[in-house]
Amino acid sequence: MTEINMKNIIYVYILLIGASAYSYGQCDSKKQTLECAPRLAEGYTFIKGFELDRKRGINGVVEYSYVFTKGAKYMINICGDQGIEGLVFTIYDNARNKVASNELNGKSVRGIAYPCTSTGLYYIIYSFEKSASTCGGSAIGFKLRSS
Amino acid sequence: MTNKFMRMKKFISPILVYALLLVACGNDGTSTDQAQLENELENIKELEPNLSDDKITSILSSIPSPLELSVQIQEMGIEYNRDMLNNADNINKYNSRYRKALNLGIYGTDLGYTNIYQHTQDGLNYLNAIRQLASDLNISQFLNFESIKELTSAKSNLDSLLMITNQNFDQINSHFRETNQSSLSTLLLTGGWLEALYITTQVALKHPDSKELMERIGEQKIVLGNIMVLLDSYSRNDAEIKELMLEMQDLEELFKKIEITYTYGEATSKIVDGVIEIQNTSTSNVVITKEDIENITKTTEIIRNSIIG
Repeated sequence: MTEINMKNIIYVYILLIGASAYSYGQCDSKKQTLECAPRLAEGYTFIKGFELDRKRGINGVVEYSYVFTKGAKYMINICGDQGIEGLVFTIYDNARNKVASNELNGKSVRGIAYPCTSTGLYYIIYSFEKSASTCGGSAIGFKLRSS
Repeated sequence: MTNKFMRMKKFISPILVYALLLVACGNDGTSTDQAQLENELENIKELEPNLSDDKITSILSSIPSPLELSVQIQEMGIEYNRDMLNNADNINKYNSRYRKALNLGIYGTDLGYTNIYQHTQDGLNYLNAIRQLASDLNISQFLNFESIKELTSAKSNLDSLLMITNQNFDQINSHFRETNQSSLSTLLLTGGWLEALYITTQVALKHPDSKELMERIGEQKIVLGNIMVLLDSYSRNDAEIKELMLEMQDLEELFKKIEITYTYGEATSKIVDGVIEIQNTSTSNVVITKEDIENITKTTEIIRNSIIG
């Protein structure tokens, strides 16, 4: 009886270790995105969250797109499980011209305030290449430029 | 289409293809068999949307929040108008997943509109309708009703209210995508977008000289283009979506007349309060006439009323 209990305990222990190791390696990008939303600067209304998981990207790059509207000012911010250092995102217009990046003088900045002067589809490319983070989230907020 | 069926379909399709190939290899390979095989393979192909999951996710995530148009209307100083919205009592008319998803999108936009104008009682009515539809679609776990209700009633913290409702709708869309129910996500977003366009066009009717409103309406050509790609993809195996797509094609035809030009200009940037501020020099111009607006308004009304009726 004692031997069976001992076996059970060892079995459960192995399962728990396995489960914790598995969950340790998991990217909870949903949680990261939810945590990123309230970090938008004051006056911005949250409108969209993007989940970032390095493993789901190609060569450490994750791409999203969004239609920005002329006359609105957007804030796009970023969060990473190991901080934002090296976590770079770049915004391109529909013709893939670069319009903004959170990297300035080799350093990553937590957010960009982007006043949109032409409505269109924009691409936001998130790169984990230079970052210790493998998991993160990004939030987009907006306000009218007059406000 | 149910989630269970979608998952089964994904599983069964490769098996069917494999089985058909085995049968074909075992036969003499006559041209009739070959034609039959090609025909079967074509049928299987049509069961799936013709876009990859990544492409669908990318398009879905690109569609702007309907709240943006509502905020613009409110900030232009235009008064609140309850009569434009879909009555929350209409909920009993929506008895299929297709209609529930479309009208959930419509009610979501209406809730955002009432919240922006801080019309508490109307907001609570829409919240109850949304709660019912979400429960019917098995997604009520993503809506934080108690917090939304509390914030709506309190009228005190609009930012928190908008954040929590937007986050909840964002999570519903993610859930639909992750559980292979992207067609419902497409319907939710289509309903939400159409209601925002309907509200904007109705407001434009009363303010025909507003260049800003005309431009905002014209720019919706870009969003409609993306929505049509999604509807086209699902219309192959869904008769209801096909019907909706045909109606939306009338709207697409009207938007084809609108011209949007874009000139790229290099941007500069500087750090202000720990955030990069962009100085943007790109410009765009929308060529749209009053007649275009009138036609778009009429067609939007017809489609929207057929959905809520």
